[in-house]
Amino acid sequence: MNIIQQHSDASLAENWRTINIDLLDPESSSNFDTTTLHPAFAAVSADEARGIGQQVRQLLRGGDAEGALRGSLEMVPYGGDASAKEIHLQTVTEVLQSIKASEMTPMLQRIFQSEGGSEALDVLMKYLYKGMASSATHKTPSRGSTLTPQSTGFSQMGGRPGAGNESSGAAMSVLLSWHEKVVEVAGLGCINRSMTDWRKV
Amino acid sequence: MAAPEVHHLFHHPIADHSFSADKQTLAVARDTSVELYGRTGNGFKLKDELKGHDKLVTSVDIAPNSGRIVTCSQDRNALVWEPSPTGYKPTLVLLRINRAATFVRWSPSEMKFAVGSGARVIAICYFEEENDWWVSKHIKKPIRSTITTVAWHPNSVLLAAGSTDAHARVFSSFIKGVDSRPDPGVWGERLPFNTVCGEYLNNSAGWVHAVSFSPSGDALAFASHDSSITVVYPNGADQPPRAVLSINTQLLPFMSLIWNGESEIIAAGYDCEAFRFQGNESGWQLTGSLESKGRAGPEREESAFNMFKQMDLKGKTKDDTKLTTVHQNTISTIRVYEGSGGAVRKFSTTGVDGRIVIWNA
Amino acid sequence: MRSQSRFKSKTRKRRKTRNKYFEIEEGGRLNPLARYVARVCLDPTKTLIEHTTTTTAAGSLHTHIDKMSQSLRPYLQCVRSSLTSALCLSNFASQTSERHNVPEIEAQTSPEVLLNPLTVARNENERVLIEPSINSVRISIKIKQADEIENILVHKFTRFLTQRAEAFFILRRKPIKGYDISFLITNFHTEEMLKHKLVDFIIQFMEEVDKEISEMKLFLNARARFVAESFLTPFD
Repeated sequence: MNIIQQHSDASLAENWRTINIDLLDPESSSNFDTTTLHPAFAAVSADEARGIGQQVRQLLRGGDAEGALRGSLEMVPYGGDASAKEIHLQTVTEVLQSIKASEMTPMLQRIFQSEGGSEALDVLMKYLYKGMASSATHKTPSRGSTLTPQSTGFSQMGGRPGAGNESSGAAMSVLLSWHEKVVEVAGLGCINRSMTDWRKV
Repeated sequence: MAAPEVHHLFHHPIADHSFSADKQTLAVARDTSVELYGRTGNGFKLKDELKGHDKLVTSVDIAPNSGRIVTCSQDRNALVWEPSPTGYKPTLVLLRINRAATFVRWSPSEMKFAVGSGARVIAICYFEEENDWWVSKHIKKPIRSTITTVAWHPNSVLLAAGSTDAHARVFSSFIKGVDSRPDPGVWGERLPFNTVCGEYLNNSAGWVHAVSFSPSGDALAFASHDSSITVVYPNGADQPPRAVLSINTQLLPFMSLIWNGESEIIAAGYDCEAFRFQGNESGWQLTGSLESKGRAGPEREESAFNMFKQMDLKGKTKDDTKLTTVHQNTISTIRVYEGSGGAVRKFSTTGVDGRIVIWNA
Repeated sequence: MRSQSRFKSKTRKRRKTRNKYFEIEEGGRLNPLARYVARVCLDPTKTLIEHTTTTTAAGSLHTHIDKMSQSLRPYLQCVRSSLTSALCLSNFASQTSERHNVPEIEAQTSPEVLLNPLTVARNENERVLIEPSINSVRISIKIKQADEIENILVHKFTRFLTQRAEAFFILRRKPIKGYDISFLITNFHTEEMLKHKLVDFIIQFMEEVDKEISEMKLFLNARARFVAESFLTPFD
C-alpha cells in the first residue's frame, strides 16, 4: 500500500492540498530524530516527583535553603511526563520564593564554585524560563465579563494589571530577580546552554 | 606584548580567510567572490578577484605548497583555482551534493580536500589523473544534519567534522592510491573509508561550530553553541576515550578555535575577542582574554562643550557605538599565521566586521 | 572640490547623530524612511492622535507608573540578557530546499536548528517570547493592556507600525498569536547593524510603548471629558 492510498481516505475530506508532504519522507530534515541529542532518561512518575518535593521541603523547613535548592536542581525529572515536570517546577519555585533577596548572590556563588555547580545553575536557568512561561499561559477570565466600570474602558480607577494579578506579578518579580543574579554569576553562557539543551525541564 | 596588527578591509562580513605560505597573499571570502589581497608595506592592497560562484562563498583555503586555492559556496559548488602566469584558472569539482557547501579545507598532504555540506555529507575530493578532474567520495553515515566545519589530522587520513546535529565526529577518509596507509594510533588501527573513529556529544548539545586536532593529532577540541569547549583524549580503537573534558564558559559561544602546542587552545566567537584556555588530560580552564584591556588611544578627554553637545544630540554623554574590543562584530575564523612545531607565534582572525587582525599568541 | 567634500562630511555627521535608534557601523547605509518610522514609533502621538495639551489626571497616573517601574528594570534586564544570548546568529543555508537561505525560525523545517524558546514575563499581561534559531530570532511582545480602550490603542498603534514593516527592517508583518507585535531579526541584520544597538532598540521600544499608550489614553480621556462637557453645557 503506498502513501497516497494510505492518506487519501483520511485527507480527502480535509484540505489535502495543505498536507506537508515533506513529513512523509523519512529522509526529510523535518523528521530529524531529536532524541539523539540527549541521553536516554529514566522514567519519573508524578508520585516520585512529589516525593522529591517532600524531601526538598523537609530541607527547607530545617533551614537548609541552599541544600534544598541544590537538591531540587540535581534531582530533575527529565524523563517525567508533563505532570511530573509541573510538580517539580512547583518545588523549585517554592524554594526560590523562600530565599531572601540578600542571600541570593552569595548562595549562587557558593553553588557555582562547588563541584558541578555550573551545571546546577544551568538547570536553575531553565526553571526560571519555564516558570515565566507557565505563568504566562495561566489565563485569568476574560476582562469583558468582569465589573462594569471597566468595560467602558474609560475608567481611570480599575482594571490596571497591577490590581488583578498582583500575585502573579509578585511571583514573576522573584523569578526576574533570580534571573538577574544567575546571569551575574554564571554569565550569558548559562542562557545559551538553557537554549541549546534538549534535556527539557 | 606588542599590539595586534589591524586591517579594516571593507564593511562586509568575511566568511573565511586564508594566507599563502609566504604571507604575501591573503584570500578573503566576501559575498559571492573571493578577493585576493597583496601585502604592500603595512597594508593590504586588492590584487585580484576570483569570480565563479553565484551565491555566498562560505569558505576558502590556500594550499601552502602548491598555491592552489579551493573555494566553496552556498551555490553547491566547489572550485579549485590553479595559479598560472595569466591569473587563476578555475576548475569545477564534481561534488555531487544538492545543498550548500559550507566548509572546505586542504589536507596537509594537499592531495585531497574535504567539503562539508548541508546535504548531510562530507565530500572528500581528490584529483583523478586519467579524467583530469577533481572527483569526490562521500562520507555519509552517521551524519544527520548540516556539516558546519571540518579539520584534518596531520596524517591526512583522519578528518574531524562538526555538525548542527550537535555531534563532533572523527572519520577516516582513506582513499586507495592517494593516501599511504596510516600508522595505527590512538584513533584506531585499521581505517577504511568512512570508519567512524569517534562521536562526541555535549550534555547541553549545541551545534558544533569548530573542530581542531592538537598538533600531535592525539587530541581533539571542539567548540559548540552551548558556550563550551570540549577536549577529547581518545584511547585506541573501540575503547572509550581516556578523557572527555567540557569547559562550560560564562561567555557567548565560540565560532573558531586553534591549538597552541598541546596544552593551550585559543578560541574566539560572538564575544568579538579571543580567549585562551590552558590545561591537559586532567583538566582545562579558561585563563583569560588575549585582548589587552584598557588600551590607551580612542579614549581621550572630552571637552565640556563636546559633552553637552553629545547630551543634546544623543541624550547621553558617552558614545557607545564602538565596542571596546578590536573586532567590532563576531569573529568567524581564527587561523595560525606564524608558528613552528605546533607552537603558535602569531594568529589571524577575521569576522563579520570586515577586519583582519594579526595577533601575537 | 574641497568645499564640496567638506559639505558632504558635515551632512554625514548630522545624519549619524540622528540615527539614534538604528546606529550603524561607520559607512553603513540607512534607509531614510526607516529613520522616520523609528522616530515616529517612539513619538506616535504626533501622527496617531492630535496633540492636546490638557494634562488633568496626569498626577494619579504618574504615581501609578512610578510604582510599576520598580519591577520594570529587572524585566527589561532579563529581556536584554536573553536577547544578547539569543542573537548569536550565523549564515545558514536551507537544508530542505537547494540554493535557498531562509530564516529557519519561520521555515521550521529542521528541528535541530531551532533552540528552546524563552519566555520573559513580568506578569500575565506583559511578556516577551524569544524564539531563537541558527540564523534568525523571532521576538514577540505582549504590551500591557489594562482595559478595552488600551486594547484599541495598542491595536491601532501596532497596526500603524506593521503596515510600514518594509521600511522598518526587523519588524514582522504579522504578530505571533497571543502577542501584539513581533520582530524578526536575521543574521543579515546582525551583520549590518551592531548587535547591542539592536538589543537597545527592542528594550527602548518596550520602555517607551507603555508610556506612549498611557499618554495616548490620557489625551483621549481629556478629549472625551472636553467633548462631554461641551455637549452637556447647554443643558445646564
